[in-house]
Order: sequence, then C-alpha cells, then structure tokens
Amino acid sequence: MKALVISQRPSDAGELVALAKGFGEPVILAFQESASKVDEVAAYGCRVYRVRSDRPEALYKAAFSLYESLNPKIIVGPSTKNVKDATALLAGSLDIPMVTEVVELSDGGSVLTYKRGFMSERVTMKAEVPYPVIALVNPKIVEPAEKAGRGEVIDLNVGELKVNIVGVRAKELSGVKLEEAEVVIGVGRGFKSKEDLKLAFELAKILNAQVGGTRPIAADLKWLPEDAWIGISGKKITPKLYIAVGVSGAPQHMSGVSGSKVIVAVNKDKSAPIFKQADYGVVADLYKFLPILTSKLREKFPGRA
Amino acid sequence: MGRDIAVLVKASLNPEIVRQVSEGIYDIDYTPLKISDVDRNALEEAARLKGILGGKVYSITVLTWGPSKARDKDLKLAVQEALAKVADEAYVVVDDNVIPGDPIVTSNAIVGVLKSKGLKPTLILAGEASVDESTSQVPGRVAAKLGYSYVGYVRRVLEVREGSVVVERDVEEYVETLEAPLPAVLSVTQEINEPRPPTLIQIRMASRKPLYTLKLSDIGLDVKPKRLIRDMRVITVFRKQVLVEEASMEKAVEKLLEYLEREGVLRV
Ligand SMILES: Cc1cc2nc3c(=O)[nH]c(=O)nc-3n(C[C@H](O)[C@H](O)[C@H](O)COP(=O)(O)OP(=O)(O)OC[C@H]3O[C@@H](n4cnc5c(N)ncnc54)[C@H](O)[C@@H]3O)c2cc1C
Repeated sequence: MKALVISQRPSDAGELVALAKGFGEPVILAFQESASKVDEVAAYGCRVYRVRSDRPEALYKAAFSLYESLNPKIIVGPSTKNVKDATALLAGSLDIPMVTEVVELSDGGSVLTYKRGFMSERVTMKAEVPYPVIALVNPKIVEPAEKAGRGEVIDLNVGELKVNIVGVRAKELSGVKLEEAEVVIGVGRGFKSKEDLKLAFELAKILNAQVGGTRPIAADLKWLPEDAWIGISGKKITPKLYIAVGVSGAPQHMSGVSGSKVIVAVNKDKSAPIFKQADYGVVADLYKFLPILTSKLREKFPGRA
Repeated sequence: MGRDIAVLVKASLNPEIVRQVSEGIYDIDYTPLKISDVDRNALEEAARLKGILGGKVYSITVLTWGPSKARDKDLKLAVQEALAKVADEAYVVVDDNVIPGDPIVTSNAIVGVLKSKGLKPTLILAGEASVDESTSQVPGRVAAKLGYSYVGYVRRVLEVREGSVVVERDVEEYVETLEAPLPAVLSVTQEINEPRPPTLIQIRMASRKPLYTLKLSDIGLDVKPKRLIRDMRVITVFRKQVLVEEASMEKAVEKLLEYLEREGVLRV
C-alpha cells in the first residue's frame, strides 16, 4: 500500500514522510520550493515525483494522475493555502474525505482516526473518516524521518492550466519572531490611526516587548507588517505576558494567544469578550491609560528608555 | 456568458459561545448557529459584482448541524440576511438524514441544487473558511465537480472581463494576481471589503423573496456523510478575570503593576 506525501518545502518533508510511514510506503510529490530543491526532498530515500510549479491547479493535476496510478491509501501534506486549494479540488473530483490542520492521526483499520481544532480552536474534535483520505497536518506534530539514501526523481508534466498568473507581489514582512517573544503587546482596532500605534511601541520599548496585532490591523489596514498578526490564521504566541490593547477578544484572535502565561486586557467597553479571557482587565480608554502606564514604568525602570 | 452569481452561505456554530455539557464535553446542541463571518464578505462582494454583471444572485445554504427543528430559527436568520443583502432567491437544503453533515455532503448538495434547478452561475462566491470547522475545502470541491476554475483566498476582484475574472489571491508570504476563466468559484477573505449590514428596507423586502427549502431527494441526491465524530472537548485555559477598578487611572495603573509584579512577568 502506498502513502502519497505532498511536500511544498524541503523543511516539511521529514515530518510528512515520518507520518506517511504509519500508513504505507511513502512516495513524494514535490511541488513549489520542494521541486526546485528536490535533492533535499529525495534524501529520505523515497521515490519523488516532481511538478515544477507553484500553482495549486498544477499540484491538483499531478496529484490526480498519481492517485490514479498509485492508488494510495492516504495523501498527507502541510495545511498551507496552496496545498489546501489543490487538495480541495482533488477531494471534490474523487469525492473522498479531506481533513486539515490535523494534530494527531492514526490508523484505525478501515478508517483514519484524527484530532483537530474546531470552533476557531476553542474545542478539539476527534473523528474518523474511511480511506482513501487526504490528511493535511500542522507542523511539528511528529519527529522527522531519518535521511536514507537518494530516491529516484521523476518529472511530471501537467499540461495547460486554466488559471493564469499575471503578477506576484511580496508582502511587507517585519521578520520579527513574535512566537519567541517573552512580552507581546497586541494592538486592535481600538487604535484610531497608524500614528497612534506609537503609544504601543513606546510601552513595548520599556517592557522589552514586541508589538503584534489583530488581523484587521495588519491585513486590512496594513498598520503593521503582515507577519505581525496573531490568531488562528496568523501567529500563535506563547509569551509570559500578553497585553491586548483595544482588542475585542474574537475567538479567531484569542486562539493565537491561549498559550500566554498572563493576559492583560485594556478596553474601554466593559462588556468586551476579552475580559472573560484575560487574567487582568482594565476598563479604560487606551489613549488615557497607555501614557500613564508607560510613564509609571519609566519611573520603575529608569535605565530602560 | 452567464451573468448570475451564486453565494454559498453557511449557518455555522457560533464560536463565541462555547459551553460544556459536563466536565470538558462540548455542548454542541446548546450552541446557536449564525451566519459564518466571512460569508458576509462574500455577500457584500456579490452585491458589488451584481452591479457590474447585471444578472441574478442566489444564495445556497446546506444545514450541517441539527436537529433541523431546533435549528430552524437560526438558519432562517442567516438565510434572511443573504436575501436582505443581495440574493434574489435562496435555496436551503435541510435533511435530517445527513446531519451532522461533512464537506462531502455539503459540496454534493450545493452542486445538486444548481444542477436540479438548472442554475448556471458565472461566478460562485464563498468565504475562505467557516468559523466553526474552518477547513476551506467546500469551494474547491464545488469547482472540481462543476468543472469551474477555482481561486481560493481572494483579497480583491480587480476586474470582470468577458470570459474571465482578474483577482488578487493571498498566499502566506505573497499576493499574486491571477486571471481565471469564467465560470469560476472564488473564496474570499475578510480583507476584500467592509460588509455593511442590510438596511431596514432591505430586511423588509427580504421576506417577500422566494426561499426554497429542499430535501436531498428533491434534488435527486443520495449521499451520506463519511465523517463520524467521536468526541468534542472544550479547551479550557484558566484565566483569573480580575477587573482592575480604581478611583483614578493612576491608581489603576499602580494596581495593575502590582499584580504583574506578583506574577513575576514584569522583569524580563
Ligand atoms: C476565518 C477567520 C479568520 C480570522 N483570523 C483572525 C486572526 O488570525 N487574528 C485576528 O486577530 N483576527 C482574525 N479574524 C478576525 C476576528 O474575527 C476579528 O474580526 C478581529 O480579531 C477583531 O479585531 P479587533 O479586536 O482589533 O477589532 P474589534 O473587534 O473592532 O475590536 C476593537 C475593540 O477596541 C475597543 N476600543 C475602541 N476604542 C477604544 C479605546 N479608545 N480604548 C480602548 N479600547 C477601545 C472596542 O471596545 C473593541 O472591543 C478572523 C476571522 C475569520 C472569520
């Protein structure tokens, strides 16, 4: 029995191969970055089919033809946008189950048993689906496989695509690793302009903190770089202290901060949902509260800023 | 070229309300349904594009969570919003035989509605993810079944041309501009627009628009969910929920710093 691995980046291959081994003999389909760095992917000793493209449609066509010829029991891959879009097409044309953001999976005989987040990650769901199945997983849920000699590489040609690419624009990224910060200030739409964020940056300076925010602040308003948004579709952070300012506490945001040791919320609306999800809440206008907090901290830590 | 738009609207479990039946067990029956947030962006975009295309808009909803009797009110509310906002007619598939549903049931039912009613939208719009399951796969499944082109995570619809649509797609580290031939399925992100709630007049008009409630047999479909849910557990993170209430802002700041000092999280 075969297990098809979709690798998008060489860094995902080891973990995916390790997972696939629990179900069958891994065969890799290398796509996007993994196609251009195919040697790194071939180092796990499995046969590698390569599609030199970053289009979901190309991945779909390649996976479809491999599905027909290999008859895999399972297709595993990363839960990224390109892979999700490709495998959704595959799942639809084959009418087979597809599960995403999986954190645990095991072979239950005729079914795949898996665990994933549900309800914007406020609930975990354990469920099962019959084979064949597509399972897209979260990173770091298993130790990577050992490297084991070079596998054979075979190029796949997928022919014409329907969707044409006109242009690509890199996003503005800060490169700041919010995931590793010990103190994070989270800014939300309670701030009225980009300039006003300086209140948060001044506080951050004195606390040695990094500044992140809610999705609308980064993705919509672009007041912060796009790698600075925290939540289910952004970064997951685990600081000792998270200070949310002008953030309402939507479940999609809070699932990204649930690993914080202490959460402080500053919001002018006493009924804001964030107060039920914080350790310390202050009902206050951030424009009045933050300057006082910053100046008191300056008195406390005169050496800092 | 057709001019109609279909919008996929889900009545999702509301993730803001998560309650336990007993120790850690998620109370799904208690959880109300609401229109999935990003579907509002899809409706808003449909309203804009209807102005360009000039055709009809229909919404399609498949009930995933039951029992249907208990969900009727919430479901109607979600569908009424679609009708008030933009849809000329609404199709709702409700069938207790396939509840709780899964993406296989949902996508087949959507395609079943279109085929059995002879609907041929040139664009099908959906949200990038539902707020309960967020698996982002129904739009792609529908596209594959219909043979439509598909673009997920659309941040902008730049242009509708004769025979194609030009869009910006959000990928993790970059944004790409794509031209997809029509007919096409697009899933949209929150950033595509700022959804405006329907006006009072729109809400009043909505009750006069046709709403068709269908069973699977009405659309000639025989499909069963393949997913079996075994267990749902609430993730509980204990939070102290202390409100710092003091006579003055200065006092409140001092009190907060006192708490944080005691937690040992200030001197890092
Ligand atoms: C599929 C999906 C994925 C999503 N992913 C994410 C994600 O990863 N991350 C994320 O953050 N969001 C995400 N969202 C969006 C999320 O649902 C919320 O819309 C968003 O988090 C709200 O951001 P906010 O708190 O900044 O804004 P709002 O909800 O508008 O809250 C602003 C808050 O500021 C307060 N306020 C206003 N003025 C002041 C003042 N002067 N002083 C103090 N307080 C003030 C208000 O009382 C209010 O509570 C997602 C949504 C969906 C549907």
